[in-house]
Amino acid sequence: MIGSPDLVAFTKEDEYGQTSPDPWALPEEFSVPLYPLADSNPWAKTSYAKFTKDFILISEFSEQVGPQPLLTIPDDPKICGTFDLNYFSLRIMSVDYQASFVGHPPGSGYPRLSFVEDSRVVLGDSKEGAFAYVHHLTLYDLEARGFVRPFCMAYVSADERKIMLQFQELSLRFSQASECLKAGNRRAFAKELQRKLRDLEYTHSVLQREEGLQREAGPQRMYSAHAVEKANELANVEKSIYEHRDLLKQISLYNRRPRRDPHAVTCQKCMSECLSECEALLDKYAKLANPFSYNNKGEKREEGQADGGGGDGEGDEEEDESVKRRPSYTPQLIKAKSAKCFDKRLKTLLELCENTFYSATVELLKETERSFRGDLCYLHTRRLDRALCRKQRITNFLFEEDLGDDDEDEGRTLRPFCAVNHAVDNYSLLNPPPIVLGPDHLELDSLEPPDPLDPASETSHTQESELGLRESHLESSPSDQTLETQESSEETKGSFSSDKSGLGQSERQQNLAGMKSEAPDPDPDSDLTPDPDHNTDMERESSSEETETTAGDDEGDNKEDQTPTSLLEVVSGLEASREDVCEGEAEEVSDLLVQIDTACCMAQEGFLYEASAPEAVPRLSQNSHPQPLSQTLVVNQEPQAQIPLQDDYTVGSPCSESPAAGLELPVGLLGDAVSRTSVEDGWDCTMSASTGSDRAASPLGYGGTVTLRQRKKAGQGALRFVRQYPFAMQALWCLLSGRTLVVLGADEGRVRRLVAALALFVPSPGKCGERIQAWLSCPFTLTDLQRWKLIGLQRVASPVGSSMLYSLSRYSRYISILDADQKTLRCPPYRGQLLANIADHRTYIRRGSTYFLHVQSTLCRLAAKAFLFTFTHHLHLPVSSTEGPEGLEGRRCCFLQEQLGLGEEDSHILLYLSQLITHQYLQPANRSSATAPCFSFNYSTSVLYKI
Amino acid sequence: MSSGGPPQSPAVAKSEVAVEGECPLLAATFAYWDNILGPRVRHIWVPKGDQVMFLSDGEVTFLANHTLNGEILRSAECGAVDVKFFVLAEKGVIIVSLIFDGELKGDKNTCALSIILPQTELAFYLPLHTICVERLKHVIRKGRIWMQKGFNIISVLSLEIVPIMELLASMKTHSVPEDVDIKDTVLNDDDIGDSCHEDFLHKAISSHLQTCGCSIVVGSNPEKVNKIVRTLCLFLTPAERKCSRLCKADSSFKYDTGLFIQGLLKDSTGSFVLPFRQVLYSPYPTTHIDVDINTVKQMPPCHEHTYNQRRYMRSELSTLWKTDSEEEIPPDTIIHTDETFTPDLNIFQDVMHKDTLVKSFIDEVFMLKPGLSLRSTYLAQFLLLLHRKALTLLKYIEDDTQKGKKPFRSLRNLKTDLDLTVEGDLNIVMALAEKLRAGLHSFVFGKPFYTSMQERDVLMSF
Repeated sequence: MIGSPDLVAFTKEDEYGQTSPDPWALPEEFSVPLYPLADSNPWAKTSYAKFTKDFILISEFSEQVGPQPLLTIPDDPKICGTFDLNYFSLRIMSVDYQASFVGHPPGSGYPRLSFVEDSRVVLGDSKEGAFAYVHHLTLYDLEARGFVRPFCMAYVSADERKIMLQFQELSLRFSQASECLKAGNRRAFAKELQRKLRDLEYTHSVLQREEGLQREAGPQRMYSAHAVEKANELANVEKSIYEHRDLLKQISLYNRRPRRDPHAVTCQKCMSECLSECEALLDKYAKLANPFSYNNKGEKREEGQADGGGGDGEGDEEEDESVKRRPSYTPQLIKAKSAKCFDKRLKTLLELCENTFYSATVELLKETERSFRGDLCYLHTRRLDRALCRKQRITNFLFEEDLGDDDEDEGRTLRPFCAVNHAVDNYSLLNPPPIVLGPDHLELDSLEPPDPLDPASETSHTQESELGLRESHLESSPSDQTLETQESSEETKGSFSSDKSGLGQSERQQNLAGMKSEAPDPDPDSDLTPDPDHNTDMERESSSEETETTAGDDEGDNKEDQTPTSLLEVVSGLEASREDVCEGEAEEVSDLLVQIDTACCMAQEGFLYEASAPEAVPRLSQNSHPQPLSQTLVVNQEPQAQIPLQDDYTVGSPCSESPAAGLELPVGLLGDAVSRTSVEDGWDCTMSASTGSDRAASPLGYGGTVTLRQRKKAGQGALRFVRQYPFAMQALWCLLSGRTLVVLGADEGRVRRLVAALALFVPSPGKCGERIQAWLSCPFTLTDLQRWKLIGLQRVASPVGSSMLYSLSRYSRYISILDADQKTLRCPPYRGQLLANIADHRTYIRRGSTYFLHVQSTLCRLAAKAFLFTFTHHLHLPVSSTEGPEGLEGRRCCFLQEQLGLGEEDSHILLYLSQLITHQYLQPANRSSATAPCFSFNYSTSVLYKI
Repeated sequence: MSSGGPPQSPAVAKSEVAVEGECPLLAATFAYWDNILGPRVRHIWVPKGDQVMFLSDGEVTFLANHTLNGEILRSAECGAVDVKFFVLAEKGVIIVSLIFDGELKGDKNTCALSIILPQTELAFYLPLHTICVERLKHVIRKGRIWMQKGFNIISVLSLEIVPIMELLASMKTHSVPEDVDIKDTVLNDDDIGDSCHEDFLHKAISSHLQTCGCSIVVGSNPEKVNKIVRTLCLFLTPAERKCSRLCKADSSFKYDTGLFIQGLLKDSTGSFVLPFRQVLYSPYPTTHIDVDINTVKQMPPCHEHTYNQRRYMRSELSTLWKTDSEEEIPPDTIIHTDETFTPDLNIFQDVMHKDTLVKSFIDEVFMLKPGLSLRSTYLAQFLLLLHRKALTLLKYIEDDTQKGKKPFRSLRNLKTDLDLTVEGDLNIVMALAEKLRAGLHSFVFGKPFYTSMQERDVLMSF
């Protein structure tokens, strides 16, 4: 009888739906998955990694404990999570990729240093989901086995593709870091040799003395065992001296060897400095070795060249003097067989490299980590974005982030720089990579001025001063210098030479001359062991300089006294600095545009300006300048004027050529009331900028470049605006068609937020947002309307308030008014479709950053269409001699309506943008001035929109 | 009685491969970790003829052994193929190693298939890295099956090593430069119909963008073919251009899987036979452009293509698994079928979806005067627009699904919000986004099952 347990075996398969495996079926381990993880979730590819973010790991193959992790960047245990750094270090360091001979080569009398090139390896642990770019390097340590200490720096990421796609850039960055470490290590190694040689000399002299004494004490021609031992010891010390001298010679030849690595990055200055130091040491110790050189005449002949006649008394005297000048180190007696002890403490990485170089390397790696942070797809797109923007500089001024001047070609962004702030020109990249994935020097963080209290920025000053590099104080490394500040630092150099009070002119010149000649210090000790007092002073100076240099354009000229004594000084300083910027950029654009035919623009200019009154404003401004600005303005300076400048309140024309410069309202510079007489209207105009906490809400940093991050933040506000206000489309149309929009409100914070959000849509807002006035508490004038396209206006219930309302009504035909309190908009009606997509209050876009991207692509499209309209020849040039302006006008209308499918209001947008492009193209000298090409208006009736 | 001394190393077999032109590859090696002898090299392939750099067999062996160093610690999943990439400046070489496990003489061994190039070729090689690795990975899958059966893996590996040598040699002479001059393209014509018919050009560029920038251009006239190749290359990134190949004037190259654009010359009979398998193994669907008869055909969108590709791969591996004899390596040209999957051989279909993005670009760009930088600028603006739209779309989906944690259900909203209601526009932007985030099509268009165009349309209406 068959029992139920017997049946289980038969039923089980059916119950669980499992059939016996087909012996011919392909096992999964030999197949490919039909539904890989990426198909079900494209974002989940890297989710199984045990660390949350990419990081940099420095590991060492210790001769005592094997591979071990030393340092991670960022130095936060949370980043690595449960990821086993020990195991990973073991994995990445388990191969000697630099397998070369170290130690005593056969037939060689002295140990040889092996100069091995760095190796670069990409490998991973697919099970752990960790992949790494590993840069192997070797440092020298006198006490290490074979004098070498193998290290590696690894960029660890969960995304293998990210590493491979950016391999060349990673390689370049890590090569820079490696060279920096190695340069420091060579100096430290030379220093260590110097100490060792001094110890050996001392030991030698002691032994020699002891041996002499013993010889004298003992009977003639009879040597005791002790004396023999001493003699052997002495011989060993002498041999050791020769060995160490040879090592010194070898290390000094480091940069004369042929480089096998075509991708190595070297700083010529670091190299030559190190070389000269080593050579100086070599010279010195060749001489010092002389007292015992009689023992080995053959070798003396060998060393004769380096000796330089050191055997004479004069040389000894010199040496004695130099020894006297070295109080920092007391030679020690070296006991026999003290070296190569296994229980010795190995030097740390910091000890192996000079502090300066170590810190610089860490800074460089931190910068590397920052620049590679984030998802590959965003990194990749951002680079593409920038590369494409570079090809269309002619329209970038409309809506794009300022690309800066230093990255005209991508190669320059990757131009190697010295981590210890040597001049960039000293660098040579042996074989620059043809594929250039430029590191984002406009990394969002780096665009902001560095915090003077930031230890990182201080570190670089320390490095400079320790090296005694006066000139390099004036140069900021790309890691802490924005594009803005690079310009300002150029200017600053000039001002330092004349204004700097802390250091005399002659002293400075001496220092600079010393720098330029690159001559080593007569006493290498003083260079290798800098005077701590001197060092501190230098550090302090350089720190303060650096702070000012990176604080932004506006402060560049106020070095002598940070607190402005007069408002006028500040304003003129501002203008002067901006003029320089404008001029520099103008040249660049004119170069870029050489190829573009100007014919259509020239023809269009007449068309564009014919409906406007181009002369009116300049004339007005000329009239308003009967006297120099300094004489007409009355400054009521209040105690608050002593408060240092806030960038946000630096309002004014960026260029003195601005037609509106004469009516410059030095608004709120000092945080409180400043009044002056308006030449035009004859009223007292009081403008203020509140010191309320809400001001920080404004993303527009006047006087500083508006960054991508700020614009992204503004995207959130813009999305909120579009969702809240059904007439958002009308407001956007006003801005895009060049009609000034005034945001009126009592609450400063709210107005500022609205202005910040709407600023995204202001064409050609200026490099520093000059065409936007975030907060104004006085009536504005006609010229202000030409200058500012978006104004936040304070609603006040006072006589000033009534005059403001008067100005609003007076200029109402030129402006649109968005009342933030009443939630109304007064502007001409808009019935177009062009903006429907970015101002739809029913949009399902959830995040401000996504909306910002959407706006960016829409504005990019508008700019392209405007470019097309501007440079399409047949729209601006008559096809025959008989064709009059009407014919051209008709063709343009036809193009806008039929080709581009735009209605009347939409056409206004394109016409305005085209007008700006034309103006920009024809007058590139003013390109960074935020001046409108003309002041136009139309007589459309305004309509009041309500929620 | 033991003979004494260490066991003798087995001799390293070597194949010399005749490659036309200068092959930048120095050698390819197959090494394995012998449980007694440590890392051993089993086979070396070297291109025959002049080379930029010479490596002796000893050096090759030394380098190949190095690729396995440290792999004693390997803890990968069974069947995983890990890639290691070395730039050894000390030796002046680049080594690409694919590490995998395989059965040799009944033991599980760690094996490495490596290719060695001079370090000076780093910039040349890097853009082609993914192509080489993907192709080698697949041949390793086949090789593992062969090893499992106790057969000689070398014959299987040779099936891909040789074509890769040929690919690299051909790219050395015929790859598209990183910067394409617009003057060498159709976009420099005075008027839109000068070189080719307006509709053909529009369809070609549109389909090219819809298939992620992956196209083959065939024709009888090499100049005409290359002009279209260069024109299409304008719409690629510089790195992608380096993975594109012009056609050879006198004879045709073979089709190579993984290149973005390749120009292929028809034979004297006016035909060019495309290998079905290789085309299907391309990472992206492909557009087929015939410049002789002005036709443009395209493969199904990414998710269908990937699904077909995987089904075919499984079928191919399965067939190999069932092979009894070492002599019977199924050739690549055989169409693999099994009970559940029969590939649709008609993989190239007409371009169904019209777009407005490319249409308006083509219409407008010819309005600008040629010979100046106006058209290049306008092209840059167009590309910027496409890239930004792709990123916006990606971000939109990312927000909506919380980075893929929730299914995406609002395609209609996406189309309205991002102004992608025209099907062709959506396809173009989706294709660009797919390159940024692989698997996006499958994620958006539901389960990656085999969907016809009609089914997809139904899905998209949700």
